Amino acid sequence: MAINKKASAGPVKDSASECVAQPASADPSKAVLKTSRRDFLRAGGMLSMSSLMGAGALMAQSDDTKATVEWAEHFQKNYRLMTQKEKNEARLRLEKRYSAEYGKQVSVDTADAQPGVLMGYALNIRKCIGCRRCVHACVEENNQSRGKQRAGEKIEWIQVLRMERGEFSADKMNHGYPDGLGIQVGGNAYTPAGQILEGQYHYEPEAVPEKDATYMPIACMQCEKPPCVKVCPVRTTYREADGPVVIDYNWCIGCRMCMGACPYWARRLNVTNPVLPKEEMNPVTHYLGNRPRMRGVVEKCHWCLQRTRQGRYPACVEVCPVGARKFGNLLDPESEVSLILARKNVFRLKAELNTFPKFFYFYD
Amino acid sequence: MNNFVFHTMILAFCCEMASTAVAADAAPEPAKDTAKEPVVCFESRKGASEITQRDIKPGLPNVKCSPTTGAALWYGDPFEGTVPMGKMPLLDKIPPGHALVKPRSDKLALLPLCSTACHNGVGPSFSPPTLPKDKKPTPIPTMEGLLPDAKDLQHGRGRIWCLDCHHTTKRNMLVDNFGDPVSIDQPQILCGKCHGDKMRDWRDGIHGKRIGEWASNGKKRWFTCTECHNPHNVQDGHRNRGFVQLQPEPPPQLPKGMKDAKFEKTHPIPH
Repeated sequence: MAINKKASAGPVKDSASECVAQPASADPSKAVLKTSRRDFLRAGGMLSMSSLMGAGALMAQSDDTKATVEWAEHFQKNYRLMTQKEKNEARLRLEKRYSAEYGKQVSVDTADAQPGVLMGYALNIRKCIGCRRCVHACVEENNQSRGKQRAGEKIEWIQVLRMERGEFSADKMNHGYPDGLGIQVGGNAYTPAGQILEGQYHYEPEAVPEKDATYMPIACMQCEKPPCVKVCPVRTTYREADGPVVIDYNWCIGCRMCMGACPYWARRLNVTNPVLPKEEMNPVTHYLGNRPRMRGVVEKCHWCLQRTRQGRYPACVEVCPVGARKFGNLLDPESEVSLILARKNVFRLKAELNTFPKFFYFYD
Repeated sequence: MNNFVFHTMILAFCCEMASTAVAADAAPEPAKDTAKEPVVCFESRKGASEITQRDIKPGLPNVKCSPTTGAALWYGDPFEGTVPMGKMPLLDKIPPGHALVKPRSDKLALLPLCSTACHNGVGPSFSPPTLPKDKKPTPIPTMEGLLPDAKDLQHGRGRIWCLDCHHTTKRNMLVDNFGDPVSIDQPQILCGKCHGDKMRDWRDGIHGKRIGEWASNGKKRWFTCTECHNPHNVQDGHRNRGFVQLQPEPPPQLPKGMKDAKFEKTHPIPH
């Protein structure tokens, strides 16, 4: 690699290039790996540690399938730095562990982004009836924790916000006039007229849609300029080439910086050990997608990477009974999302924050 | 070097793995083979298309149904029970076999009888076969019993009648722009006659629902008009909305320490 670079650099910079180190690449996968004394010592340390751990595990005689592979996971690289071979090894390791743990054949996909694809999503806000079927489809698909005993054991990535319509009334015309030196406001101020973003998530009516309410589902917006990626101290969350912002769960330290940075309340932390019954586990998984998570890692919507990388619609799109959810390739002018952007009235949530979401709300 | 470390670690654990494998005694749980009733869930609205749960392979069902509402919650196989959509004008670009629909006729048990039992074209009023004289339906108790929506037809708000949509002599079929019969599985050809804007959006995938593959030329199951809308009462009476009301799925878990969700209704500004 170094020789090639030298040859292409030309004769003028020949002497300089010998002194200058390899240029740093912004793309971690293109970073140059060197073997140094430090690496050697580190590897030696890992070796001795692993043999110690192995001996420990042997003595413990644990029949827990988790214990047999976890040590290997501890030493794997960040997903973006793994070679294809290492990815395959990680995949096989996980498939073996999950299959034993959940009692069925589990597949862990490592499919990469396809060139010429930029995933986009659109939601027809007029059509949404607030039935929460997308929320539960997402849980079924993405192996979220679904316990009920303790707070934080039930994780849902999509939130459906109920907003009151409110109305203006003639009765309040005389309200709000200042007593003494007060500041005058209109009589109908302080009524939830029009849509306000202080809605309810826990609504439980007999039937939806209710007469005086509108609904707004919110999940990860898969920003083009994601604040969560900016703040991640271990760079475990990043934007994939085809659009979705993903997390390498093995490298997440659970610091929750991303949760604080996300303006869309899209990220969830596994506060407890995830509760995922064997029979409910979805065995079709992706490494960066819905593979079972561990305690202390953050997770979020990734547009069902295990499905969309294989050409399938995300789970929430498929169950929406009113067809409010649309998904497609933003680079394909014939896709439904591109046609919506071309034809309908579209807005991005909190566009003023310059996060540039690829999730669009529209109405017709 | 990492590989070297990795393989060493594999070796270190080989014995442990083997011992656990030997230690684990083969005692599989007795198979619960009680004949359960098949789980059937509705797809878009209640009373329209339904899907029966089964296993595609062990541990992977074709569909998951909501225990709360009985709605389809997750699709393992989006194409179950579908047939090719048939020829649709302006949808020629789709590769053959990539546009699928679920036949509506399977769900309509009385459909085969419609054109033989009563509306067979040779009854007293049809001998010799004649077209109805005016566009006012004769109230027939049997018909109204079978189809309560016919008593006070909401669709069109009193301005259309049965034979604007149903074929005059072939009552189990619909009617297109030219008065020719159309299969009841292709209601979009009929509905698009009046609702052209919706038809255009549906064709482009903006209106309505498609499941399967997201690529614009991918294999998709298209939901037809009547799978989501009740054709005789599209606006749901006085509600005047295109989609009927449904029971919602359960709400999310309450935050720690909260007994109920009343806190959501307290507004920082009193009103």
